[in-house]
This record gives sequence, C-alpha cells and structure tokens, in this order.
Amino acid sequence: MKNEHLDILWLETRNITNLLKQPYRGIVGLLLSFSVFLGLWWIFMDPRGILRWYTPQYGYMYIRWLLIVAIWQAYIFDFWPFSPKWMETTHPAQKGLILTGLNFALTGIVIWGFFYAFMGKLSMPYLSWPELQKLGMTDFFAREYSSLAVLMFAAIASWLSPIWPAAFENYPWHGLQQPAKGFTVFAFTFLLTTYAFLVFMHPHYDVLFYPWQIYTAAFPWWYEFAHTLSGNFNVGWIMCGTAAVWMVETIWEKYPFCLIKTQPLRGIAGFFWILFVALLLFVTFVFMQDLVWGDSIEGAKRIMAPDWRYLHTGELAVMMLAVALVLYFYFDNWPRKFSTEVNLLVRTVIVIVSTFVVHYGYYAVSPGLLGTQAGYSHPQQFPMAPVILFIIVMLYHNWFMDGWPGKRITKKQ
Amino acid sequence: MGNDVTRRSFIKGMAVGTVAGYFASAGLSSTVFKDKMLVVNEPPKVDIGMVKSLKVKVISETSWFSNKVLLDDLKKAGGLLVNQYEIPWTSEGVKEGFQGNNAGGFSTLIDVELMDGSKKKILLDTGWNPVWMEKRYREEGIDKMLANNEIDCFVSSHEHFDHYWGIEALTKYNTKLPIYVPKGFYQDGFDLLHGKAFPKAKVKNDYPHIGKLTVLDSSKPNMIYPGVALLTFDVPIITRVFGEQAFVFNVKDKGIVLVTGCCHMGIITYMEYVKHHIAGGDKIYGVQGGLHISPFEDWDPQYDDLVLALHRYGIEKLGPNHCTGYVTAEKMLAAGLPLIKGTAKNGSKRDIYLGNGDELKFA
Repeated sequence: MKNEHLDILWLETRNITNLLKQPYRGIVGLLLSFSVFLGLWWIFMDPRGILRWYTPQYGYMYIRWLLIVAIWQAYIFDFWPFSPKWMETTHPAQKGLILTGLNFALTGIVIWGFFYAFMGKLSMPYLSWPELQKLGMTDFFAREYSSLAVLMFAAIASWLSPIWPAAFENYPWHGLQQPAKGFTVFAFTFLLTTYAFLVFMHPHYDVLFYPWQIYTAAFPWWYEFAHTLSGNFNVGWIMCGTAAVWMVETIWEKYPFCLIKTQPLRGIAGFFWILFVALLLFVTFVFMQDLVWGDSIEGAKRIMAPDWRYLHTGELAVMMLAVALVLYFYFDNWPRKFSTEVNLLVRTVIVIVSTFVVHYGYYAVSPGLLGTQAGYSHPQQFPMAPVILFIIVMLYHNWFMDGWPGKRITKKQ
Repeated sequence: MGNDVTRRSFIKGMAVGTVAGYFASAGLSSTVFKDKMLVVNEPPKVDIGMVKSLKVKVISETSWFSNKVLLDDLKKAGGLLVNQYEIPWTSEGVKEGFQGNNAGGFSTLIDVELMDGSKKKILLDTGWNPVWMEKRYREEGIDKMLANNEIDCFVSSHEHFDHYWGIEALTKYNTKLPIYVPKGFYQDGFDLLHGKAFPKAKVKNDYPHIGKLTVLDSSKPNMIYPGVALLTFDVPIITRVFGEQAFVFNVKDKGIVLVTGCCHMGIITYMEYVKHHIAGGDKIYGVQGGLHISPFEDWDPQYDDLVLALHRYGIEKLGPNHCTGYVTAEKMLAAGLPLIKGTAKNGSKRDIYLGNGDELKFA
C-alpha cells in the first residue's frame, strides 16, 4: 500500500485548455453560472416566478437532492455509464445537457421513487407526501413535513457521500472497476447516511408530531446541552461538515493529510480533520452570532432562537463553501505561486472575508433578486436553498461542461 | 515540499495544530471569554406609568374557518413567501365558512381605565372579511361605539390579511379614527386604507380613511397613554409582511400585562424585551392574544421549546387564542400553565381558550 494516490477520479485526469485569459475566464464563467442559477431559480423556486416550489421546504428538498445526485454522478460513479472517451470527445454543451438531464431525472426518481413510494410507504410515513396525506394531514403540511425529512437525509448525505472518495480515495474498493466500485461506495456511504439520519434527525420527528412519538423515536438527546428540541442543531454542524469536506478538497488541496502516504491512515486522518474543521466552524459561527445579536434565549423565536442560530451556522458555512468554490473553479485557486502553507493561508483569508461580504450582500439583494422576504430570520425561508442551487450550477458547469466556454477539454496525448 | 515531511514530523505538526485549534475554538466559545466579550449594558428602563384597570374583549379570533382551504390557497399560490395581495383567496363555497367565505378575522376591544379615572377604548385589528367583522361588530356594539366616537384609536398589530384587511368594517363607521401602524407596512397597506381595491386578493375599502395615521418604529417603546405603550418589532413574517407591534400595560397592584395581535416576534422575545426595557418588566402578570405558535395546527419542535420555557416567566393569567393553536393550548394545559378557558360561542370552535365574545379582566 505504497501508492501516493489509490484512486484518481476522471475529473482529476482531464486535460483542460484555457480558451480565455484571467480574469476574463473567471468573470465569464461566474457570470454564466450566476445567470443560469437566476434562470433556474425563477422557473422553479421564486415566489413570484413560474412553478413556485420554494414553499419553502418542497423546492428546498429538490435543491438538496440535485446536489447529492451530482456528487454521486461525478465522485462516486465517476460518470459511469458514460465512457471516458465519450466524456472527452462530446461537445461540452451537449454533455452538460445530457448529464444535467440525468441529474434532474435521478433526483426525481430518488424523491418520488425511493422516498415517496418506497421508504415513506413501507417504513416511516413522514418520508412521503402522499402517505402523510393519506393519514389525514393537510396537503400543504404533508408536503412540507415530508420535504423537510427528505431534505434532512440529503443534508447528511452531502457530508458523508463525498468523504469516501475525497478522503479515503474509495479504499478498500479502489481496485474495483465501475460500476462495481460506484455501487459499492454508494451503498456504503448511503448506509452511513441512514445510520446518521436515524441518530441525528429521527429524534426530531419524535417531537414534531402530536402527541410525541416516544415509542418510535428517541427523545432528542441534544436537548440538555443544545437548549432546543429541534434537529436544526444537527443540521448546523453537519452543514459545517459539508463545507469542510469541500474546502479540504478544493482550496486546501487535502493538506496536510495528503502528506500521509498510506490508506486508510490518510482517510482516517482526513475524516477527523474534516470533523474538527466542521466543529470549529460551528462553534465559531455560533459565537459570532452571540456577539452580534446577543445570547440566544431558550424558547424564543427567530433571530433569538437557539435552533435558528444553529441553522444559521449552516447557512454561513454554505456561503463560505460557495465562495471557496468560486475561487477554486473560476479563479484557478489563486494564489498558487507561494509555498503550500502560504497559498492555503491566503485562500483561507480570502474565503473568510468574502463570506461576510456575501452574507451582507445576500440579505441586501435577495428580496428583490430572489423574491425572498426581507430580514435575517424568517422562519419559512432558508438562504441555503438559493446558495446550494448556485453551487449546483457551478458543479454542472465545471464537472459536466469542463468550464466551457472559458475552458475546453482536450484529448490526452 | 511534501516529500520532505516524515511521518513523525507530520504527526507532530498535526498534534500541535489540533491542540492549538482546539484551545482557540474552546477559548472563543468558553463562558469566561464569552462573558468578557459579551458585555451587555442594560439600557435604562422606561417607566410607562400605570393604569387602574384593564379589560380585554375578544371580538373575533376566528381568522379563517377552514385550515385546509387556507393552506390549499397558500399551496396553490406558491407557499408561505408569496405576497398576500397576489393570492386569490377562496371566498365562496366553503362549507365551514361564513356565508361560504373562508375569511373571518381577528379583532379585540381593549378597555383601559387610567389613573386619573378617565377611560379609553382601543380597537386592536379589524379582521379580514368585512361582512363577518361587521356582524361581530354589531353583535358587540362596536359599530355604535365607532360611529359615536367612543373608541379613541385603532391599532393595527401588523399588515396580515386576517388582521387588517377588514378595515372597511371600521372606516364604514368612522373614517377619522386615529390609527397607529407598525413600521414595515407596505405601500399596498396604506393604499388599502386610503380606498384602493385589490381584486385578485378580493380585498377593498370603499370608505377611505381621512384621519391621523401614525407609523411607529422599533427604536423605543411608544407611549399611547400613561401606563399604555406599544412595542414594535422588526420581524419578517409569512406572505411578505414585515413588522409587528403589541401592547404593554402596567396595571396597578398587578404588574405588566401584554396584549398581542399575532405575536410573530415570539412571546419569549416579547417578554424578554419588556423585562429588560420596561420598568416593572420583571413581573409579567398576564398575557392575552394570539401567540402565533401553531396557527394551522402544524408543529415544530421549536414550539415545544417555547411551551417548556414559558414556565420560567411566572405568568399568572394566560389568555391566548387565535394563532396560538389548539395543539399548543393542549400542550400548555398539560404543562400546567394558567390557561384561561373560553366559552366556544359566536363561531369559536373550542372552549380551550378565549373565543369570540369572551372577556378577560386584569384588575
């Protein structure tokens, strides 16, 4: 087990040629992604738009799952069933349309097939809109409650799914061929996600329904120290975990645990480093909110509510992730000319400062731009939804379309 | 540089980094450090004066008659963030509704006796459906009070359809009544007051208001009469509404009484504000009005946080209704809170809390 890298993704082997110089390449790519994001938001989500799925949980659920499915496509199945040759020779626009179409279709199958028709029907009704309706719940809340449960599943998956390929390099299944490798890693990470859901989210449903479902789910075990019964406590730190995975993978170039030459030691170190970064982000963001708005108050609502503060740590983390991905995808992970440590430090400072600019900017422009409500702590809106949709569009552009038209894949020699 | 790093030096580096990081984060969030950075300068408390007695009469707390119909309207329109003036609310064919209309409304009459013996009547909110509201106003004699200038002012808690859109039922009898609204009202709200119709949402006002209109902001408690103040909270609310205000009364020999319309800011936040900003706020004697916890009989674990925390405030008279929700009321009773029962008449469905026509005295 002396290999430097056990498993290399197709994304890492691409030969990419720049068609535009910086900063034009970055600006064009960013504007393109942002325009597509605005178009998708208007069509599917905007409360003033066409389909208006951001009710909010219903649309938010789709956004969450589009992200997970994109991670499955690129990181776990390595674009199987499409061959590397097809990926290399197909025009980026055509490839983008096909892979994005597949992403949409698989998301629909996961939600309507796996959750609504299977899990919700045969295990836990709260995972299915039609099942909750059949039990007598009003249509609106049947959809909102089930969407919340299904998207919480996705929140955990967004943290655990990429960890195996990113940190463990698919060890010990790195030697398998696709699709055997993809299905194995998928099954394993999905199993981990299911366990995590049962521990971190299922107790939320003990107290969501009236009367409390004490024989079906454990009492929220975090209540004593988190001062809330809401699962938002776990959503907060888990979303910090999602941001941590991708920051480690992108702007931090897996440093320092990439220096470990053997697996699974490298993966184990990576896993705990990601967890540590997640918890550090979590406590720091909670503390910053306390500094700005004062201590949260148990039982209070909105900006003073402990559960909203936890949720907002996740929102801050996702904003941080979006900024990190913009730097990575569109500005070539600048800077690259110094030592690794200095490069990482400068990028980290850029990302931290930009996160606060984005946070300020989001709340200043989102009511007009996205049709959301003014104010920080509206109980029925989640800045994570638009920010994750923007992240997804960046993934479509850079994973599915190779960053075209600013970049273009070229054949390997 | 990676090739020069040995396993030993890597582990050392990781250990140092982890320990330093741990102490940095633990230090940041530790109580000691936090207390040093979170120095709270308690503002001087505002003395709002005192009133002799206070009586609150629920005119209508039945804002809508069918949850299902209301929620279907919201779902069809695109959810909880859609502008309320853009939603085609169901106004016909509702079995449980009033004359087929799902719209009812929230309105409360407040009777307060000041320390000099003078009496003031304040109307809080005007409901939604003017036909329903007029019926309730007639049944409680509010129409005559308005026409005879016996009501001193109208306070709009917030711009929501079920609290404000029945304004025509008020202006029909008195177009000059002084009005207080919270900062955050949209131009649509002012236009409705001044006679504009919104056909899509099926709301109109054929009797434009021509009296004094005051917009109150959240910078300080706003004094209405000695012993009576309004607090404005800058809160975002569903269907694109922003801002809500609620009453604080200081009742002689009893303590502070809070009267709300819908309390979107949350009753705990409201009480905490009073505790820290109003003289006598340590003793909250009573709370009356909508507490906006489970208005659609929906639930969230966060609401349990609220019910469990209410005990700590020592409220002696708790008279919620309307958007508090029946589920919440049942949980409050189970938690031993001093909930005041109603009589379930005039369209109110259950007696678990104060209903239409019920009265609560605080002195």
